[in-house]
Amino acid sequence: MSKIIEFKNVIKEYKSGDHILKAMDDVNFTIDEGEFVVILGPSGAGKSTLLNLLGGLDSVTSGQIIVNGNHVESFNDNQLTEYRAKNVGFIFQFYNLIPNLTAIENVELMKDIVDVDIDGLSVLDSVGLKNHANQFPSQLSGGEQQRVSIARAVAKQPTMLLCDEPTGALDSKTGVLILNLLQDMSNNKNTTVVIVTHNAILAEAADKVIRIKNGQIESTVVNENPKKVTDLEW
Amino acid sequence: MGDFKNDPDITLHFVENNTISKFYLIEGEKLDINDENGVWLDKSFADAKGLGIGDKITFEFADYRITKTIRGLGYSPEYVYHASSSSVIPDFNKIGFAYMSYKAFPEDTVPYNVLNVKFEGEPETYSELLDYHMGGYYSSFVERSEHVSVGQFSEEMAQHKMMGDIFPVVFILIAMLILLTTMRRIITHQRTQIGILKASGFKNHSIILHYVSYGFWLVLVGAILGLILGPMTLPQLFYPSMSATYKMPSWNPAWSMNFVYVAALMVLMSLAVSYYSVRNISNEKPADTIRPKTPKVSTSGFVEKLGIWKRLSFNARWNWRDAKRNKSRALMTIIGVIGCSALLVCAFGMYDGMNDLKEWEYSDINHYDSKLVVEDNASVSQIDNVAEDVNGDKIMESSIEIESDNAKKSGSLLVVNDTELITPTDYDRNHVEIRDDEVSISQKMADMLGVKVGDKVKWHIMGSDKWVKTKIDKIHADPISQGFIMSSDKLEDLDLNYATTSIITAEHVDKDYDGVKVANSMKDMTSSWDEMTESMWLLIYILIFFAALLAIVVLYNLGLLSFTEIEREIATLKVLGFKTSALRKLLLTQNLWFTAIGFILGLPVGYMILDVMWASSGDSFYILPSITLSNLLLTAVITFALSIFVNLMFSRKIKRLDMVESLKSGE
Repeated sequence: MSKIIEFKNVIKEYKSGDHILKAMDDVNFTIDEGEFVVILGPSGAGKSTLLNLLGGLDSVTSGQIIVNGNHVESFNDNQLTEYRAKNVGFIFQFYNLIPNLTAIENVELMKDIVDVDIDGLSVLDSVGLKNHANQFPSQLSGGEQQRVSIARAVAKQPTMLLCDEPTGALDSKTGVLILNLLQDMSNNKNTTVVIVTHNAILAEAADKVIRIKNGQIESTVVNENPKKVTDLEW
Repeated sequence: MGDFKNDPDITLHFVENNTISKFYLIEGEKLDINDENGVWLDKSFADAKGLGIGDKITFEFADYRITKTIRGLGYSPEYVYHASSSSVIPDFNKIGFAYMSYKAFPEDTVPYNVLNVKFEGEPETYSELLDYHMGGYYSSFVERSEHVSVGQFSEEMAQHKMMGDIFPVVFILIAMLILLTTMRRIITHQRTQIGILKASGFKNHSIILHYVSYGFWLVLVGAILGLILGPMTLPQLFYPSMSATYKMPSWNPAWSMNFVYVAALMVLMSLAVSYYSVRNISNEKPADTIRPKTPKVSTSGFVEKLGIWKRLSFNARWNWRDAKRNKSRALMTIIGVIGCSALLVCAFGMYDGMNDLKEWEYSDINHYDSKLVVEDNASVSQIDNVAEDVNGDKIMESSIEIESDNAKKSGSLLVVNDTELITPTDYDRNHVEIRDDEVSISQKMADMLGVKVGDKVKWHIMGSDKWVKTKIDKIHADPISQGFIMSSDKLEDLDLNYATTSIITAEHVDKDYDGVKVANSMKDMTSSWDEMTESMWLLIYILIFFAALLAIVVLYNLGLLSFTEIEREIATLKVLGFKTSALRKLLLTQNLWFTAIGFILGLPVGYMILDVMWASSGDSFYILPSITLSNLLLTAVITFALSIFVNLMFSRKIKRLDMVESLKSGE
């Protein structure tokens, strides 16, 4: 498997007045193509900062972030936008669907930013929502909305899926379905999936587990035999 | 006539007492009925000529030449409006009046020719009484309201009152729309605080009271400031042009209880508007208020079922549904734009109307260069000599009164024989050929009297009791004079006397002729027209200013309201990789739709306001609401530019939008 993401000596500082907060303190790790990666850590450990930096929403103070051979840390605003559009599929805790657009429109919306021909209906079919294509987000359950959000993220065939507490707003049963879907994406379609969560149980299902604490990597563990999400004890 | 090069025309009043139509003294001694050597002179004329108290002035009239000492300067109610017959604008350098004691008259017996009478009761009764006692030996009976000075000024007042009726309504609506959108923006913005207040046990009515009183104090302070500053500032702007036309001892802002009523109405309406804005939120449960407002649910309508929907861009689909979801916001935006474009159409329409009128009157209809006004006592041979010398055509102009079955109106008569210097036209500027045996009535007069070609009307020349009946053969149109045009043959056919009042010529005349009172050039007339229309300019600027203010404030408020609601969506799209430019376009699209709709609807509204304005400009003016294509385009450009400008204020925020922060807030 080839290396697709690399963090090299990444430091991220936030200034508030005279006070400097180190949210990311010399972070190093790599992720391979098609890996199902879980990033674990307590609140305030720097999980979100890591995801924001990887997702091109924020820029590093120093260090390098190399994705597909590109130095993300050197990108300007426009390049970051293009990077997000082409490489990153975001999945949010609160789904963040566009309320004015139907499920299929939310998916096909991606046609406006990438040169990929998207068949919204077949993508929705892949997440089991073919029959809800013309419903608005407000007419869908939380789990269904999150599935639309996954469909939207994968439709543009990104380098990676970045998921920020994707099950945080769902009941555990629905959560398992969502995580299972993401694991399938990784296993069957060789999609790189990075999930940020504070739920340690998910670690057993991951190909790689990165634990962070106080802005530093605590440990990076590669699971030789990851379990299936559905086999975990919730 | 005095010792001045330009032969000014001074009307002398030899009076036995100063009780009716009193001379209004500004400086000097009071009018003395026994003073043989004093004269009380028109202040405007004295100012124009640099004359002062104690100066001597010589008047020539008939065969007399009298020299008097100026005792006082002032005004007279009979000369509030005083213009020569050839110009609508008074030129104080050329025209004036003077009051003197009857004892100052060079003969022992004064040939009195005017009797000022004050009476109670109906004018008709008095007119009959006068007929009985005078045996018809008098030339005219003029009521005060028909006096040129009084009439003209009353008309001006009526015109201003009409504006005074329209503008408060328009501006109150504008103010309320601005208040409504501002209150909604503030309340949406402070939603969470309101929720916290409610959750901490504040009573509903104290929250309502807080916001209603906020609107109340704002409007109250504004209304009071308006009451004080309004009369102090705005009237000042109109004085220069008004005082160029009308002579008044002083120009002061009037005060009316109506001001207070309107201000009180505004304050009351502000209470209603503020209450309406806060009402919804106060009815919610604190738990709901403390969270951001749940967006209204989108639905599919029939438009989505149309085939074209599938081909619309996501931008268009999003905006369509967003507008549908926020109908009241859409409506307010459109109303704001309607207001803006209507005011602009009105402003530019006024500008075009003034220019068009000038062009029509002074170049399409009248082609002479000079107009020589003939003296009342000039002989026929004198007139003929002058006419021959300047290669001129003789015309007769007179005030007349026309009566139909429906109405009675005063107007003007133009008697003209086969001349190329005056070519009547219709409204579309096509030449109207009036044959020697025809009578043509002006369009506006025909409309006012309710008559058409073939109808008969009764009319008489002012100052003569002889009424004649005439069939209308033609209709022409004229922007500033309403009445008849006919030939001298036709006039004499009707058994009326023809007397030349002016000679018009294509040559430029600056020579003095015997029998000619004054020579006016076309340039004099157009420049005095320009002077009179100066106050219009001000009104135009005021309208444009308010149009812009309305658009900016309303669009800003509603834009901010909308932006707050969709901030999260914009942040999401930005995270997903949409370019800032695409998101700007998303915001701009809806704005442009509403601006287009508002603009199109604003055109007829502006037209209607313009129509009312022109209709109020007086009986003698015939202006129809119209606007040139270029100014229509300018209106469009300004409206859209304002809309885009306001929009840019929000789209700038897109770049600064903190994506991470916007995504944190949960549902």
